[in-house]
Amino acid sequence: MTSQALERPSRRDAGALRRQLESLEREAGANALAVSVYDTESGEEFGLQPDRWFHAASTIKVAILLGVFGAFHRGALFPQSRVHVRNRFASAFNGQSFRVESDRDANSAVHESIGKTMRVAELAHHMIVTSSNLATNLLLDLVGVEAVQRTLDQFGIEGIDVRRGVEDERAFEHGINNRVTARGLSSLLRLIVEGRAFTPELSEGMLDILHAQEFRSGIPAQLPKGARVANKTGEISTIAHDAGVVYPPDRRPYVVVVLTEWDPEAGRRMSLIARASRAVYDYITGEDDA
Amino acid sequence: MPDVATAPSLLRVVDGRRLEKRVRDALNPGGYLMDENGRARQLPRFFYEIPTWEDAVNTQLTPNFHLWEFVQTDVREAPPLRAFPRYVPCAVTLLAFALERLRDRVGTTVHIAANGGYRSPRHALTHGASTHCWATAANIYRIGDTYLDTREAIEKYAAIARDALPGVWVQPYGGGPGEVDDHLHVDVGYVVSTPREAPGEPFHPKLEWGAI
Repeated sequence: MTSQALERPSRRDAGALRRQLESLEREAGANALAVSVYDTESGEEFGLQPDRWFHAASTIKVAILLGVFGAFHRGALFPQSRVHVRNRFASAFNGQSFRVESDRDANSAVHESIGKTMRVAELAHHMIVTSSNLATNLLLDLVGVEAVQRTLDQFGIEGIDVRRGVEDERAFEHGINNRVTARGLSSLLRLIVEGRAFTPELSEGMLDILHAQEFRSGIPAQLPKGARVANKTGEISTIAHDAGVVYPPDRRPYVVVVLTEWDPEAGRRMSLIARASRAVYDYITGEDDA
Repeated sequence: MPDVATAPSLLRVVDGRRLEKRVRDALNPGGYLMDENGRARQLPRFFYEIPTWEDAVNTQLTPNFHLWEFVQTDVREAPPLRAFPRYVPCAVTLLAFALERLRDRVGTTVHIAANGGYRSPRHALTHGASTHCWATAANIYRIGDTYLDTREAIEKYAAIARDALPGVWVQPYGGGPGEVDDHLHVDVGYVVSTPREAPGEPFHPKLEWGAI
């Protein structure tokens, strides 16, 4: 019998949830697990290593999405604005050019538009829904790293450090990386779900994109069918993350962020996230009390 | 299918100095830009006026090039120039003829990148006296099925361009300043075209020097 079976968290038993998550972490062989939860119905927060820094991987794209919508809010950009699709970016380390390899990118639609233009709204969609790295770098080039970080700072969000575009290997080798904490991402999603990201309409626009997410093997995977999820995953060799907003049936949503770190050869990484997400779901909804 | 105009003769030639101020400020007609060696280069004064995107699509400059290919810019173009009517220096016809000759030589389609034809002096990608501001430069990102994103492809077609177009300038391959590695930049220099039907006025020294 596993420890998970021995002790499952009952409603609002934070200690039991913590123990269960730690047990899941040990069983999975992860090097680190961090969880941050915010319940918009009760206002309750939960954290397991919520302030531990991780390489952001693709979860940084939620912050870039905020930066893009900030540009909409300022009138500097419009969703229908056209952007030249070009696969050439300057490294944050030394300015030398680098490219996003098409075979490493999850999305081919953006690569197929090289030389032409795409609308900002289309790029934002691809950046989140299919995690296109090319779309991400195009948008970050347009909005600017500093502008994205400034937007986070304006909202008082700590725990998200935007330093560069994705697939910037030279910057990676020199330790220039995007970093996040579970609490940082949780604060960002909370801002969005509460409609405080610029305007309720713009917040809703960001949520719509997150709801269209195609990568569902993390937070949503083990939730009941009636639960809707707006999320963004992130995975590189030693990292697997998922950050999302969960809408259980007949109740207000909650924010959950699960960040994990692994040895490069470790498998079943999203499985830990899915199990941690289910534990949080049971904790929030009191599913086991029924 | 709409009728296709066979030449820009259907487009009005306008004096950029007579356009409304916000457009004039973005085009800087007859103004000067400094090249990389600090030399002043005078910008074009006369432009074709393009009433709508459909007009750009339907205006055929040469058998294989249409006007829209030279004016496809993105959000980095100056805001007054993102809306129609738009303006392109009259030398765009000369560039089209040069590219047609290149197209004949390679025997397949030549694709100009977005932001790779005419760009105004206020375009965010304009640095110094870029020949894109004269509508005499093209960034070619694809020829036939070949994307020009390798040294081999870029240098192959650069050699063909030099051979086919006497006096053409191509940007060297590379990832450093002044180099390119994802397209072939060809330009025919700081050419200014004044069509015979271009408007004008009697010579007036003050008007000429006042622009400097």
